[in-house]
Amino acid sequence: MKIENSIIKKLRALLGERLIGVNIQKERRIFIKVTREAFKETIKNLVNRLGFKHLSTITGIDLGKELEVIYHLSYKGAIELSLKVSLPKNEAKLPTVTDVIPGALLYEREVHDLLGVIFEGHPDLSPLLLPEKWPRDVYPMRKEENLESLRKAIFENSHVEGL
Amino acid sequence: MWRGFKTSYRSVIRVPFGPQHPALKEPENFTFEIDGDIVINVKPRIGYNHRGIEKAFEQRTYIQNLYLAERICGICSDAHTTCYAQAIEDLLGVEAPPRAKYIRVIIAELERIHSHSLWLGIAAHEIGFDTLFMYYWRDREAVMNLLEMISGNRVHYAMNTIGGVRRDIRSEMIPKIKKGLDFLEGRMKRYMEIVKQDLTISKRTEGVGILKQKDAMDLCAVGPTLRASGIKNDVRADDPYAAYDEIPFNVITYDGCDVLSRILVRSEEIFESIRIIRYALDHIPDGMTRIRVPMAVPPGEAVSRVEAPRGELIHYARSDGTTKPERYKVRSPTLGNIPALCKMLLGCHIADIPIILAGIDPCFACMDRITFIDVRKDEKWVWSMQQLRRHTKR
Repeated sequence: MKIENSIIKKLRALLGERLIGVNIQKERRIFIKVTREAFKETIKNLVNRLGFKHLSTITGIDLGKELEVIYHLSYKGAIELSLKVSLPKNEAKLPTVTDVIPGALLYEREVHDLLGVIFEGHPDLSPLLLPEKWPRDVYPMRKEENLESLRKAIFENSHVEGL
Repeated sequence: MWRGFKTSYRSVIRVPFGPQHPALKEPENFTFEIDGDIVINVKPRIGYNHRGIEKAFEQRTYIQNLYLAERICGICSDAHTTCYAQAIEDLLGVEAPPRAKYIRVIIAELERIHSHSLWLGIAAHEIGFDTLFMYYWRDREAVMNLLEMISGNRVHYAMNTIGGVRRDIRSEMIPKIKKGLDFLEGRMKRYMEIVKQDLTISKRTEGVGILKQKDAMDLCAVGPTLRASGIKNDVRADDPYAAYDEIPFNVITYDGCDVLSRILVRSEEIFESIRIIRYALDHIPDGMTRIRVPMAVPPGEAVSRVEAPRGELIHYARSDGTTKPERYKVRSPTLGNIPALCKMLLGCHIADIPIILAGIDPCFACMDRITFIDVRKDEKWVWSMQQLRRHTKR
């Protein structure tokens, strides 16, 4: 737990008030939350100063009024830090991290496809998982979509008969 | 059919690969831009097999989801259920009994042996060494039989449950498993010699599909792909789960950064897995194999990681106190390796595409056909399987 505590201490010194929530759940599992403004700076600090070189994945969650995006970063393959940031649903935008972590390229596209978060500065946000003919405003992982409405979205936009 | 090829000799041609490949567990489509014979740009397009599993997780109870997690993948089914069970156990605040943890390790390592020997066979097939492919797959049956003996199943072992494992490894099985491992070890030693000495293998794989150490790190590669670029990174050692913190083993790395290193890493990992299983069988503690857990899961979140045969597998779970998860996220190792794969493919010859694609182990076993499109003339023509093979083996 020593390393975990020292990481949090360094983050507190770097971010101050903008670090909203900290939870060291257990050994090798840290959850932190930052404000949207401080997000890019936090990622840069984590990658360049604190040694979180590996991005495991990006998760997006629909929490009703807002969306939460979680970046799962790992420190030397061992400590998994989950960095959370909340976005209002009507303005779901985040700066891209592909300039800091090139490996985020596909993960950002996945979150864009499924939850409609726009990553500003991403080189190519064309559909990755969804079909080309998928309607623009339907995001499958949002809570207002259920299996019935998704089936309808597929059916109405499919060129294959009887699907 | 060959007309277009001759006239557009110097032009940039776009070549779509995929998405349909009968033996590929995750259909993927890659569009290659080629100049002559050299790949100058790669654009991956995945999602052809997107089944909406994450959405389906939200509609089902925690126990039903166990069966869903099993079916995410047909080759590393045990890795997914281990990861799922660990995430939910984490949310519930319980731990699997020690004996269950050892059984999880044994099944996971048997699965790694079967997955790696499957891949090694495919790699041999991709470079046209079909004899070795047949041998690998024949001997892979030994480990499949062991898995069937333990679990009753060859593909979806259905061993894990929330709070432990569903079946015990009985004492009369232990000598049979050890006998199977002895056979496998002998065979794999022979194949290791072949891989190291054979001229065909070294000519087709050495210096092919280079992924430098820095690129592997930056592009967040995982598993054997990362370890073949000289980075010592393994979830089993770095972030131990199940009983891996009690079992001694080595993390295999090679620094060739090419397909040959990826073959060698996986070959040696089979020996490491055999050693782990032997140790686990000798030191397996007595006791119960599972504990009963409640249906409803208290609110919370958990990140669970497992070293699947293909690399780091990560699951994220969030519960809201009901019997169904609020959000469940799965990131399989193949997705993590795709940016690295695109990097490896840049500058390679068309003939090396299959082995490089296979190099990250997406089980790229069989190529139906590819369509060539001449951008300028908007003509299309198709290569048959035979033509592709002929071109591959040149």
